[in-house]
Amino acid sequence: MSLSKLGGMKILLIAISLIIGLAAGYFAGGAGKVPESQYNQLQTSYNQLQTLYNQLQQNVSSLARKLKAGFIYVGPVEDFGWTAAHDQGRRYVEKVFPWLETVYVESVPEAEAARYIERLVTEENVDVVFTTSFGFMDPTIEVAQKYPNKMFFHCSGFKRAPNSGTYFADFYQVYYLNGLMAGALTKSNKVGYVAAYPIPEVLRHINAFALGVKEANPEAKVYVRWLFAWYNPTGAREAAQALVSIGVDTIAFTEDSTAIVEFAQEQYRQGKQLYVFSHYSPMQDVGPDVVVSGQIVHWEVIYADILMKIRMGIYNNTNLANVDYLWLLKEGAVELGGKPGVPINPKFVNDLKSKYLPGQSISVYDAVLNRLTLMKDVNVPFDPFTGPIRDQAGNVKISAGQRATIAQLFTEEMNWFLDNIIGSPSG
Amino acid sequence: MDIAASILAEAVRAGTPLMLATLGEIYCERSGVLNLGLDGVMTIGALAGFAATWLTGSVWMGLAVAMLAGGLFSLIHGFTSISLGVNQTVSGLALAMLGTGISSLLGAKYVGLPLRESLPLLQIPVLTEIPLAGGLFCHDPVVYLGMVLSIAMWLILFKTRFGITVRAVGEKPEAADAAGVNVQLVRYLCVFLGGVLGGLGGAYVTLSYTPGWREGVMMGRGWIALALTIFSLWNPLGSLIGAYLFGGVEVLQFHLQEYGVPASLLGALPYVSTILVLVASSLGLLRKRLGAPAALGTPYRREG
Repeated sequence: MSLSKLGGMKILLIAISLIIGLAAGYFAGGAGKVPESQYNQLQTSYNQLQTLYNQLQQNVSSLARKLKAGFIYVGPVEDFGWTAAHDQGRRYVEKVFPWLETVYVESVPEAEAARYIERLVTEENVDVVFTTSFGFMDPTIEVAQKYPNKMFFHCSGFKRAPNSGTYFADFYQVYYLNGLMAGALTKSNKVGYVAAYPIPEVLRHINAFALGVKEANPEAKVYVRWLFAWYNPTGAREAAQALVSIGVDTIAFTEDSTAIVEFAQEQYRQGKQLYVFSHYSPMQDVGPDVVVSGQIVHWEVIYADILMKIRMGIYNNTNLANVDYLWLLKEGAVELGGKPGVPINPKFVNDLKSKYLPGQSISVYDAVLNRLTLMKDVNVPFDPFTGPIRDQAGNVKISAGQRATIAQLFTEEMNWFLDNIIGSPSG
Repeated sequence: MDIAASILAEAVRAGTPLMLATLGEIYCERSGVLNLGLDGVMTIGALAGFAATWLTGSVWMGLAVAMLAGGLFSLIHGFTSISLGVNQTVSGLALAMLGTGISSLLGAKYVGLPLRESLPLLQIPVLTEIPLAGGLFCHDPVVYLGMVLSIAMWLILFKTRFGITVRAVGEKPEAADAAGVNVQLVRYLCVFLGGVLGGLGGAYVTLSYTPGWREGVMMGRGWIALALTIFSLWNPLGSLIGAYLFGGVEVLQFHLQEYGVPASLLGALPYVSTILVLVASSLGLLRKRLGAPAALGTPYRREG
């Protein structure tokens, strides 16, 4: 829109000057006679006008054409986790941007991703492809190099190209807030964590959670159980059961199903109160009596930003090599809670208001909301990974007063467990 | 309940779907029909059970529909392998793929729906307090049904006329035929029964063990049940022990992680033991001694 307006104004200005010129020439040179110099000037103006008009026409036609975005998913769109969240983002941008058209392919095997990405480019003729699994990283770069006039964005990876950027929404701040609540609520001082794979992302989340637990309750320990699967409701349930049998009463998890929430709700019906934290999708409605809080992702915020910038011409197929979104609470890409708009389940608010951070006069409830505000602030005056932080062996991982660097949090350097965790960081 | 009892209780729950499917497959194979489509049959049962419960609001209806769906679905394999006499391995594999494919197609609209009804828990008052063994007596009716069935089906197979007929059809169909047994009918019955129990095992997963339907919910249980059939030496009582053992290994991995036992190693145990049993049973001589039905996998056609 802004482009066509700008062009229109220029044309109007030149047209006015053309008329003024013509009028001036008429009066200066007498009836019907235009002097040579005037004529040349008019000719130049006319040519300028012609060029601008052509440009404008081009702009208008490119704006009239819809931008087409393709999405490559690793799972089925109704998986109640990762892929469902991305697809929600896709549906959102398609709804709010009338100039956008989207297509998607679900359940794409990582080994065959290149073929699927290429098909979107050649057959669906998309302008930009979003690939939404870590395993799609190399295929994305490979196809990006083959089609330099198209744009690509890969989620959760670190390889970029002039026409291929990266993006990710991370939960570690939210996990820390969950940990504060877990530490305050546990009565047995045994907190459980059922985890997918021992990779930096999951280790970062477990450590962030354990940091929160430790701050609210230095006596409590965090017991980790590995699943070696992103989706395994059976295993998740069995792991939760195993944790409960050793006295754990509070559980967080990284697994793409509602199995643990259902398990806890079932225990509640049988008279045993467990506290759980919903993961990735809003699960509070599945476990209204057990879900304290959790993490919700908003991929639509990132998708909207990227697509808007492509539309405005800010991003193109030559300047994406340094485009790397790592969006957190501040940008609104993640949210605290087990239900949108509900950061803490009202059922547990009183319990959290009556617990105080050790040695401080601030309740855990206030501390959570307080720090949530600080982490949403543009300057992010608070970060949970602030030293001194020690690992299980007592080694200082982040020294006093220092904040963890991106490398310490997001690369292979994240291969340790905090000193209140029981379990192995290598699975 | 102490820790040992609660581990046993979880093992029993984890083993129940495996046991039900294995019991059905034992009868199926005892009659001479190898049904490799068990995983597909279980998945069909899992979806049918969940969908029927969702639509009617009754878990019992869900279980009934799952059994019927599993039985009818495996009749496809019955038709191709008994009436048409095609290669049973190929037909079974096709059934497995068909079952998982159809259920993910038809099940799309049931993904993520919560299950509001659940099976009632029947705690047997005094018995649950027994150390360890207490873990056997705190379950829903399907678990008890599994225990009762494994004993009843053993009695029927080895102590009744019908059992002798089934075994005869699987060992020497021509002799059974000469004795006036309707070989085709007995085989159809056993395939149907296998499907019914497979469907029930599948439904137990989506209605009780991990309530809810989602693609891939069976997680290869059908294949493990096939291995368990051999592991239990085609004996219903063996499946009782085998299924709880496999269930126990599945559950135990999360208890042993704390003591530094690698999760991946324990997770692989059911599969490793399956391979060992398969290797042992594939050695020709051993196969006979292990009790594999002699006519397993061979279609029967009357001579002349």
